[in-house]
Amino acid sequence: MKREESNIVNSQGSLTVSDESIARLLCDDSHVEEAVRLIMKKYGEPLYWHIRRMVVAHDDAEDCLQETMINVYKYRSTYSNEYPLSSWLYKIATNESLKLLKNRAGFTMSVDDLGDSLKDSVREEAGPNADETLVLLQEAIALLPAKQKMVFNLRYYDDKSYEEIHQIVGDSVNTLKTNYHYAVQKIKDYILEHQL
Amino acid sequence: MKDFDLEGLSREMPYKMPEHFLDDMTERVVSQIGKQRKQNRDRKIVALFASAASVAAVALLFIHPFGGGLDIPDYENISQCTSIDELFQNMTADELGVYSMMSNYYGN
Repeated sequence: MKREESNIVNSQGSLTVSDESIARLLCDDSHVEEAVRLIMKKYGEPLYWHIRRMVVAHDDAEDCLQETMINVYKYRSTYSNEYPLSSWLYKIATNESLKLLKNRAGFTMSVDDLGDSLKDSVREEAGPNADETLVLLQEAIALLPAKQKMVFNLRYYDDKSYEEIHQIVGDSVNTLKTNYHYAVQKIKDYILEHQL
Repeated sequence: MKDFDLEGLSREMPYKMPEHFLDDMTERVVSQIGKQRKQNRDRKIVALFASAASVAAVALLFIHPFGGGLDIPDYENISQCTSIDELFQNMTADELGVYSMMSNYYGN
């Protein structure tokens, strides 16, 4: 399915450049830097938070976002407009986050074994004045297996449909639904157990 | 059993993104991409010069730079000569050199 979009003016009156226009600029060598600026303007913040929810620490999220954008430049020829640009960007960001976590886990552990250390990072990053329920929610998410964490974050925070999550993560829609269901259950259990 | 309403919870994060972080990141990424593009351009230029140099080197193997090339004896004329002595007298120094080389090769 080919996507046809045009640049639109949003409710604040500023011009929102369509994904199709950005993709065209990205494939044009003389406009690639302009395309990267537009991607950062439109998707920089959601991508940062998507990465940060996975890796927790700001410094790690910074490294991952930078690598994500460099990979967007390097592999721009692999982008196909059969999928939305945002799905392609989220996919690269997700892979970069997982790569960082795999490096951290090393040869002896799996990414899913990092839950406790990520949970500790949540407290450190949040600081003493943070809302306790929000911290508990992030701790519960940090303890989830990587796949459940990805699916939960993309659905709960980024409002992605299962079809979009399928384009990013690659699993079947039914598997994604099961992952989300288990993630929600585990999060609820954790918060109920730890809430004062 | 007690339940917890996840949907009613704020989507806010308990931590913040540092101010101007995205602007700084954009500049850093654009500058890094600029460097990579320059490196790629330089690499292409070096590759172009290297291929041109290889082509020139191969061409030099076939073209004598100072003109003339190797003088190879005309064996059709040789067969029309009346005597071997006359033949050797008419040969240039280069032709004698080639003759001597070929004689050695074919065992006289």
